[in-house]
Amino acid sequence: MSSRKDQNAAARMVRDQIAKEQRRKRTMWISIAAVSALVIAGLIGWGIYAGSKTTDFTAPRGANAAGNGIVTGSGPVVVDEYVDYLCPHCKSFHDEAAASIAQLAADGKITLVTHPVAYLDGASTNRYSTRSSAAAGCAAEYGKFTEFSDVLFDNQPAEGGAGPTDDDLIVLGRQAGLGDDFAQCVRDKRFLTWTNHVSEEAGRAGVTGTPTVLVNGKPTQASAAQIAAAVAAAGGATPSAS
Amino acid sequence: MDERTGWSRAQPWVSLVVRLGLAGIFLVAGGLKVTDLAANGRAVNAYQIMSYDAAMVVGAIQPFVEIVVGLLLLLGLATRLAAWLSAGMMVAFIAGISSAWARGLNIDCGCFSKGGQLPPGVTPNYLPEIFRDVAFLAMAIFLIIYPVSRFSLDARLDRPFSAGLPADDDVLEEESESSEHTAPRRERA
Repeated sequence: MSSRKDQNAAARMVRDQIAKEQRRKRTMWISIAAVSALVIAGLIGWGIYAGSKTTDFTAPRGANAAGNGIVTGSGPVVVDEYVDYLCPHCKSFHDEAAASIAQLAADGKITLVTHPVAYLDGASTNRYSTRSSAAAGCAAEYGKFTEFSDVLFDNQPAEGGAGPTDDDLIVLGRQAGLGDDFAQCVRDKRFLTWTNHVSEEAGRAGVTGTPTVLVNGKPTQASAAQIAAAVAAAGGATPSAS
Repeated sequence: MDERTGWSRAQPWVSLVVRLGLAGIFLVAGGLKVTDLAANGRAVNAYQIMSYDAAMVVGAIQPFVEIVVGLLLLLGLATRLAAWLSAGMMVAFIAGISSAWARGLNIDCGCFSKGGQLPPGVTPNYLPEIFRDVAFLAMAIFLIIYPVSRFSLDARLDRPFSAGLPADDDVLEEESESSEHTAPRRERA
């Protein structure tokens, strides 16, 4: 009864069946391999994150109790400023408002807490944000934080390229009146972990960009006038301009 | 009939274009973020959807996952699975941006950048960002429906196994055309 044609058809069916089964298995193995690659990639990311988390740090002299900012003045109103030395807006904010903020601190109206965060490491080829912040920690340690911040903003590099090297930062430190102990501190990268802590705490506080200014915890526009108004409002006094 | 064969011939090429396009999008998006994982974590945190620590972990993992999905699409390996993952991510991104918009947050979506809070005075572009992600989602869905594409590793891996079974897979592609031409010739011989 079975003709050659039927046999051929049967053979073909078996062949198709085997091919289908093989394809199914292959798809399964490829999928497993792809998912494994994804899991491994995820683990790499998680590992890098976990490895970069700050555990141990020493805050420089002049830091606040939380160790996440440098304190200037001791007035009743607390002004927090979060700046990245590479951020162009932070430079314009500094150029416009630093003098009047320093005056508020000197007049005993505010306690200024500066948080030198390293948010823009991706915007320089040599992690300038982190290194400049750590160097600012060294400057605070040797009592010239404000002066060094001024020099850093005056010499701010453009985003996208290489920022000043550690040796350059040491030279800039001398302009701010810092000496050999500061140079050694920068070379030792003593406050690198502190910088990580400052950045992490800033992120935890919800600071997603720089400059961010808080007056008694309230977000305030980063300008001298707005800050003065907010300080006056918080302190209950009338703004000196009126 | 003619139209059908036209589409069936064009489809693997269209799928190739869609596959490579989506691969490029993921490789660029992942590559831009992978250099600064903490920044990406802050961008995720800016959405205020999860706790800071969870956001930092998600932010650290996401670029690597994007790069792997991009590589899978580039190679054409596990295409349909990669397309499903792409579609899933796009849905998550669209949901995230919509939710940020609905809550009146003023953030950069961090789609192709580090993201984060926008400076005062800058208005976010939520609608174009959502439209863009919807277009990417459409590309992913196309690949889920038509995962077979030219120059894919999936197709390449199909071949060596079928070598033992005489010209089964290979014929499938050209069968419609060549069998009609060869059959009469055989009769003549």
